[in-house]
Amino acid sequence: MNYMPGTASLIQDIDKKHLVLLRDGRTLIGFLRSIDQFANLVLHQTVERIHVGKKYGDIPRGIFVVRGENVVLLGEIDLEKESDTPLQQVSIEEILEEQRVEQQAKQESEKLKVQALKERGLSVPRADTLDEY
Amino acid sequence: QSLEDCPLDEDEDAFQALGEEDEDIDQFNDDTFGAGAVDDDWQEAHERLAELEDKAGLSREPDGPIGNDGDVLGDPEDALAERLTRLVIDSELEDPAIMQAVHTRDPPQQPGGLNSSIWDSSAVLRRIRGPLLAQDMPSVSVLDYALPQRPPQARDEERDPSERALPRRSSSPIIGSPPVRAVPIGTPPKQAAIPNFNQQILCPKPVHIRATMQQRYPTPYGERMSPNQLCNVPNSSLLGHPFPHSVSPVLTHLQRAQLLGGAQVKLLPAGRMSPSQFARVSGLVGNPLPSVNPKLLQGRVGQMMSPAGGFRAFFGAPPAPPPSQLPHPPGPGSHLQNLRSVLSLSQHPTCSLRPSLTIPALPRPQPQMFRPDTTHLHPQHRRLLHQRQQQNRNQHRSLNGSGGDRGGHRSSHQEQIRKDPYANLMLQREKDWVSKIQMMQLQSTDPYLDDYYYQNYFQKLEKLAATEDVHGDGPKKERTKLITPQVAKLEHTYKPVQFEGSLGKLTVSSVNNPRKMIDAVVTSRSEDDETKEKQVRDKRRQTLVTIEKTYSLLLDVEDYERRYLLSLEGERPALMGERKQKICDMYDNLRGKAPGQDKPSDDHFVQIMCIRKGKRLVARILPFLSPEQAADVLMATARNLPFLIKKDAQDEVLPCLLRPFSHVLYHLPLGTVTSLVQQLTNLPQSASAPTNLHLTAVLQNKFGLSLLYLVLSRGEELQSSDANAELMQDNQWTELMLMATRELLRIPQGALAKPVSIPSNLISLFSRYVDQQKLNLLETKL
Repeated sequence: MNYMPGTASLIQDIDKKHLVLLRDGRTLIGFLRSIDQFANLVLHQTVERIHVGKKYGDIPRGIFVVRGENVVLLGEIDLEKESDTPLQQVSIEEILEEQRVEQQAKQESEKLKVQALKERGLSVPRADTLDEY
Repeated sequence: QSLEDCPLDEDEDAFQALGEEDEDIDQFNDDTFGAGAVDDDWQEAHERLAELEDKAGLSREPDGPIGNDGDVLGDPEDALAERLTRLVIDSELEDPAIMQAVHTRDPPQQPGGLNSSIWDSSAVLRRIRGPLLAQDMPSVSVLDYALPQRPPQARDEERDPSERALPRRSSSPIIGSPPVRAVPIGTPPKQAAIPNFNQQILCPKPVHIRATMQQRYPTPYGERMSPNQLCNVPNSSLLGHPFPHSVSPVLTHLQRAQLLGGAQVKLLPAGRMSPSQFARVSGLVGNPLPSVNPKLLQGRVGQMMSPAGGFRAFFGAPPAPPPSQLPHPPGPGSHLQNLRSVLSLSQHPTCSLRPSLTIPALPRPQPQMFRPDTTHLHPQHRRLLHQRQQQNRNQHRSLNGSGGDRGGHRSSHQEQIRKDPYANLMLQREKDWVSKIQMMQLQSTDPYLDDYYYQNYFQKLEKLAATEDVHGDGPKKERTKLITPQVAKLEHTYKPVQFEGSLGKLTVSSVNNPRKMIDAVVTSRSEDDETKEKQVRDKRRQTLVTIEKTYSLLLDVEDYERRYLLSLEGERPALMGERKQKICDMYDNLRGKAPGQDKPSDDHFVQIMCIRKGKRLVARILPFLSPEQAADVLMATARNLPFLIKKDAQDEVLPCLLRPFSHVLYHLPLGTVTSLVQQLTNLPQSASAPTNLHLTAVLQNKFGLSLLYLVLSRGEELQSSDANAELMQDNQWTELMLMATRELLRIPQGALAKPVSIPSNLISLFSRYVDQQKLNLLETKL
């Protein structure tokens, strides 16, 4: 029965497989075992999934307790449709390598951008000072 | 020369004494560490005791009350009993040192087997005390405190294997903090932890003189049995405690947590509790009746707080509350336990409450036993919750009750479990607990204020549903809708906490009693200092402030209708008066009160109209103004229209005024209309001027043109309807019309703005004043 019609409550989601996006950018996939009023989550058999381009890699992590404020969004995974994805799963090492490469490329382009702007006399505020807000 | 000789030669006696001392020391050493030492390994003793307690518990379940299993107590018990009786006589029970000494002698005597005698005598029970006295007595509790939970739970088959008691939470002492919330913070503690738990009381005991949360305890204590108030129950058997009844201590959340975690059941010095009760309660280590424990224990928690010295944490086991009291609503702190008790009781229907016990057998709690007050849960919300519980109860009943079907049901249940062995880690009661919190958060004192949009949305939904039901043939569908109930707002004044026995008052700032940190003083600068720009800026700010104030008034006025409906008859005139007053205020704000002038200047109004929000504000206010006031506003607008048009170039908000303006226009007499047109066209200008800039501007603006058309149309309406009005012959009107038409003709088609709407009677209007040819031209232009 619907616990609270018209509201969003995680109670119905318990014991189901979820994908959780955290504020630091991580993607966790696990079974939602327990919640509380702050939306702190207990994830079971959690897997951290790293996506790079069309590839992804899973790192098994076990049990996660996530503080509610760090969750950006979460959604239920349809177990039947789960395998129905155009993405290609690769090994952990490979995906980490890919991630590293991607980060490097991003940093390079960022540096070039900042350089170009500096030449033109403009400056962009550093993103980390703005943080998440 | 040896050391020995020098000083001691003189005093043979001293040496003698020393020697004796040495002997004593040797003896002491021996006693402590050597062969003669009492084996005071507290860890071992603890384990033994814990075992004991296990077995004691075990024995409790199948057997009856303690009195019955005499066979368990053997000869060792006699010796022990003797010792214990001696202890009873001992008056110095309070002295920890003595108690320690006494106790250390005992444990070794206890056989590894079951010795339930330990629970028998009240004296023994008395000895089990709280850790506040900083002993390392081999009492079970301290170590239970420190060590992870032991498997007394393992005994209980029904218990979810993954269930573990939460570690104790330490919390800072609550001094001057907000009142204890009925709902403990964080996750619900596991209910059935070992009850023989010494609670580490970490905080000093400020006795909160502030009464229990008044918003939650509106009724006198007689009706309401909060944990705190249970202490003050007059016929409590635990009256032998040192607390004055006047003190109604508020449970700190720590205590509640401990409470919920399962508190140690202790005895008061009065020792009124009968052993069987204690045994019963203490035996409730396992799950079978966890509900009884916390619920009943709560009543005694209050006694934890003792302003007196020699404080000892103790919980009396509550034989006290007679059965009749149980149905009374326990305090909000316990309503969770209530819930829990219902749920767990429901989940263990096979457990039996042995009637021989003096603990009042809990009747199977009915849902309606929950306290009638809705401070915590609106009836609808409660209903939702109960429905769920009912479902679960039925579920469980079907699982456990029918023996024959047990296999069948079990298998499906097990299958479910097999598929996901970790399912239902979160118990139903915990889910209910969370949803309860969420539902409580929906309660507010003024839903329209707190949650305006949801209220409106909900009303719309209901209207939709109502219409659907009307149209549909079928019976009205019972849809579960979530409402945000309104609870009464209760005023409570905060009184800062006072410590008993302290000299003077402690000023502790807290959420309710904040301390002023910054002195924010408004300094107004002198006029000469200000530059022109600053003046302009200030003026604009003033205007913005005025707009905001007027908006607040407007929202209030718009709300009056709803309040009117909700209010009583007697209040209504007052409400109307208020409303009128506010409307006047609004108008004054708009036009600007200029005390020295007869005719208020337009300046204030124009300033407001230059700001987008101001224009919207005017549009919303117009319906509330009286006709004269509204006409005045119209006039002012018309008078300054070119300026406003210029300012509106970016916002283009003026057209929003058209609708209210047209409403106003319909009520205007011709005289006003005429002057309005005059304003619009700004006629009193030198007739020789080739162009009428004012009118041109008006015509070239969408709003202006539309407004002009509206006004003209209104004039035409009046003209055509009122045949004998002499105003028709008024030169002014004719002049104006001629003027207008001339302008209209003059302006090239492209420059003419696209009006919002073209009233139909314009042609007939123009036909009065111009000839056919021009009329055709005008028609094309329109």
